[in-house]
Amino acid sequence: MQISNQLEKLLAKVQKPGRYVGGEQNSIIKDKTKVKTRFAFCFPDTYEIGMSHLGMKILYGLLNEREDIWCERVFAPWVDMEKLMRENHLLLYGLESGDPICDFDFVGFTLQYELSFTNVLNMLELGGVPIRNDQRGENDPIVVAGGPCTCNPEPLADFVDIFFLGAGEEVDLEVIDLYQKCREEGKSRKEFLRLAAQIEGVYVPSLYQVKYHEDGTIESVTSTDGAPATIRKRVILDLDKAYYPKSFVVPFLDIVHDRAVAEVFRGCIRGCRFCQAGFIYRPVIEKSVETVSRQCRDLCASTGYNEVSLSSLSTSDYSKINELLDELLTWSKDDMVNVSLPSLRVDGFSTELTDKIKTVRKSGLTFAPEAGTQRLRDVINKNVHEDELMKTMDIAFGAGWSRVKLYFMIGLPTETDEDVTGITRLGQSVVDAYYNCATRPKGQSVSVTVSAAAFVPKPFTPFQWEPQDTMEEFQRKQHLLKSSITTRKLTVNYHAADTSFVEAVFARGDRKLCAAMEEAWKRGFHFDGWDDCFSLEKWMEVFEAVGIDPAFYAKRRRSFDEVLPWDHLDYGIQKKFLIEECKKAYEAATTPNCREKCSACGAACFKGGICVEKRPSVV
Amino acid sequence: MKNVRVWFEKKNTARYISHLDLNRCMSRAFQKTKLPLWHTQGFHPHIFLTITMPLSLGMSGLRESMDIRLIEEISNEEIIEKLNGALPLDIRVYDVTEPVMRPSEVAFASYEIDYEPENASAEEAKAKLEELLTREEILVTKHTKKGPKEFDIRPYFQDMQLYIREDGHLTASHRLPISVNGGVNPTLLRDAAARYLDLDLFEHITRTCLYNEKMEIFQ
Ligand code: SF4
Ligand code: SF4
Repeated sequence: MQISNQLEKLLAKVQKPGRYVGGEQNSIIKDKTKVKTRFAFCFPDTYEIGMSHLGMKILYGLLNEREDIWCERVFAPWVDMEKLMRENHLLLYGLESGDPICDFDFVGFTLQYELSFTNVLNMLELGGVPIRNDQRGENDPIVVAGGPCTCNPEPLADFVDIFFLGAGEEVDLEVIDLYQKCREEGKSRKEFLRLAAQIEGVYVPSLYQVKYHEDGTIESVTSTDGAPATIRKRVILDLDKAYYPKSFVVPFLDIVHDRAVAEVFRGCIRGCRFCQAGFIYRPVIEKSVETVSRQCRDLCASTGYNEVSLSSLSTSDYSKINELLDELLTWSKDDMVNVSLPSLRVDGFSTELTDKIKTVRKSGLTFAPEAGTQRLRDVINKNVHEDELMKTMDIAFGAGWSRVKLYFMIGLPTETDEDVTGITRLGQSVVDAYYNCATRPKGQSVSVTVSAAAFVPKPFTPFQWEPQDTMEEFQRKQHLLKSSITTRKLTVNYHAADTSFVEAVFARGDRKLCAAMEEAWKRGFHFDGWDDCFSLEKWMEVFEAVGIDPAFYAKRRRSFDEVLPWDHLDYGIQKKFLIEECKKAYEAATTPNCREKCSACGAACFKGGICVEKRPSVV
Repeated sequence: MKNVRVWFEKKNTARYISHLDLNRCMSRAFQKTKLPLWHTQGFHPHIFLTITMPLSLGMSGLRESMDIRLIEEISNEEIIEKLNGALPLDIRVYDVTEPVMRPSEVAFASYEIDYEPENASAEEAKAKLEELLTREEILVTKHTKKGPKEFDIRPYFQDMQLYIREDGHLTASHRLPISVNGGVNPTLLRDAAARYLDLDLFEHITRTCLYNEKMEIFQ
C-alpha cells in the first residue's frame, strides 16, 4: 500500500510501525477496479500472532488464486495505534490496499479463542462497520467468521452474519460465488443470507430463534425462513487434492512462528476428554508423504525460509512419520532447510526421531501429561503412563537435553488434592530421572518447569456438562501446588484463573451473552487475551450492568438432557457418545484411540479419513 | 571468492523495516535466489552479508548498500534480476559494484529533509528556524547508552540551508557526521525546534548518499 501522510504521522508515534504497513514479500496486490469481490480477512489479535496462523495463510492463498477476488489481511491494532487512529479518525484498513474495511464486500474473522471476541467488535467499529447484524444495510459488508470457536458462536450471534462450521476451503468460495450471483441478480442482503443458509456448513444465526425456560436454560432453537434445523460442519476428505498455498507472506517483523508450515494431517486420533480440538476436528485425515514433502519444498523455495515445521495436533501420531522424515531428508540437507516438530508426545519420542530432526531445540523439550496421577490421567483419557514418561526422559537426557517443560491442568473433573500434589511429585520424578541417567550432559544442571493451567470446560467434549472450579478452589489448589515443591530444580508456573473464568463463560455461552459483549464493546474492551488489558473486575461490572450471572455459564453443572446452546450445530460427534465418555470418565475408564479401535463417535458420517481405514487388528 | 557491493533503494513500506529485520529479509531473499553466496562457518552457518550504516526506522534511502561474498563468478545483471524477484517491492536493487572503500570509512551522510510544520506556515517556520541557527548554542537531549545527555547541535546545523519549494514545502539538504556509534541524527533539529521555538515539525527524511572523511562519495 501507499503510505498516506496521515498514516505516516501516526506511525512515527507507535511501537513497531512495521505492523501497520504491509508491503511484505509475497503479499498480493491487485487492481481493485478489476476484481469483483473484496474480502478483508481479519485476525482479532496482533500482527505477530495473526501472521503465525496457518488457517489465514491457506485462505489468503486460496481466495487470491481467484482472479476476481482480492483478499487482504487485517489485524487488531495494538492499543497505542488504536488510540491514535481514533483521535485522528483513521479507519481500520486492509494491509494490501490501505482501504478501510467498510469498503469491502466481506469482512471475515477467524475465531481462535473466546477472549478475542471483544477484538472482533472493536475491529468492526474501527473499520466503520456497524457492529450488530441487524444494523447493517445493503451497502455494508457481509460479516463472516470461521475457526474453532464457531462450534459455539452464540455469544456473537447478534454481530456476525454468517458462521462457517468446519473446514473453510470449499464453503468460503461457494458463499462468495453465491454472493456474486445475488449481486448480479440484484438480490437483497436478506435474500442472499437466506440462500446462503442452504449451503452445507453455513450457519446464519439471524435465521434461528431461541426460546428460554424460566430458569434461563434453553427451551428450543427453531429455524426460520427455510434454514435447516441443524447445520453440519464441512470436512475436506482428500487433503492431497485440497488447496495448499505454494507461498506465504513473509513478514519483516519477527513473528511467533516465522517459518514454513506444512499441515500433515487434520484431527487427532486421541480423544483426551478435555480437548475440544480432539473432537471437533474428527475424523483424522492424513496427507500423503509425497504431498507433504512437495508442499514443504515449494514453500521453502517461495519464501526463503530455512525451517519447515510439521504442524498438526499431535504430529508424531502421523502414521508414516518416519517415512516422511526420510523423504524430507532427501532434499532438506542440500537446500539447507531444517525440519522441526512443534509438539511431541511422550510415547512418540524416540532416538530414531530425534536423530532425524536435529532442530528439536536442545533448549526446550515440552510434554503434556496434563494430570499428576494415573487415576486422573485415565479420567481425562490422556493415555500417558509414568513409566513411559520416565523412559522418554531418560532418552532425552541421554541425548543432551537438560531443560524440560511439563504442562498440566488443574480443576479437572473428579480432581482431589492428591492429584494436585501429584503434579509436583511427577516433576520431582523427572528431576530424579535426570540424576539417574548415566549419559546425561556433564556439568549441567537440570531445570524442570511445571505449568498448570486452569481447566475450562468446552462444548463438544465429554466435559461439556461440567462446572468449572470456583476462583477460591483454583487459588487454594495453586497454593497447594506451590507449597508442595521440595526442590529448587523444579519451577511451578500458573496463571491467575481470572481469564479462564471469562473464557469459560463465553465458551459455553448462549445468545443472552450478546448483551454482555455489546456492553463490553461500549466500554472499550479489547485484547482480553492480554494481561495488559484484561480485568476481571471490569468484566464483573459488565455482567452486572446487563443483569447476567456469569456463574450460570461457568460454574453450573448441566444435566445430560438440557438443550445446550450448540445442540443445533452438528460436528459429527453424537451427544450420546459424549455422554458415554463422560460416564466412563467418572469410572476412570479409558477409551482406545481411533487407530487402535473405532469407538463409533459419530464422525463416520463424513465417510472418510480414519473411520474408513482398515486397522491392523481388523485385517 | 569475490566481494561485491549491492546497491539498493529502501522506500515507502520498507522504511519500517528495522536493521535486524532487514538483515533477515535480505538473507531470505538470497536463500530464495540460490545465488552462490559464501556462508559463515560453524555451528549455525548463515549467509555472510553486511549492511553499510543501517538507516533509522522511518527514513527512506536512495543509495543503500550491503556487502556479500560470491563463491562463483556470476554476472551483475543476474544478481540484480534475481534479487529483485525475491525482495519486497519497496526494496529495489539497481547496481552491483566492486567495493572501493571499506564501510568503516564512512564518516558523513547527506539527507533531503522535507518539513511539514504542524503549527505554523512554511514561511514562518523557515524564518524561525533560520533565527535558531544563528544562536550561540542549541542544546538537545541525546539519548546515549549512558543515559540522556545535553548536546549542542549548533556546530552541525549552523550552515544548513532551508528553502521553500515550488509546491510550498519547506525543505533542506544537509550533510551530517555518521558513525556506527551514532553520529548526528537529522531529527535533532526537530527536537530543538520543539524545545526553543514551540514549533512542531513533522519531517520526511531521505538519506541520499554516504561519504568518507574527505567528503568523497562512498563507493
Ligand atoms: S493428543 Fe489429546 S490433547 Fe492433544 S490434540 Fe489430541 S486429543 Fe487433544
Ligand atoms: S467414528 Fe470411529 S474412527 Fe471415526 S473418528 Fe469416531 S471413533 Fe474415530
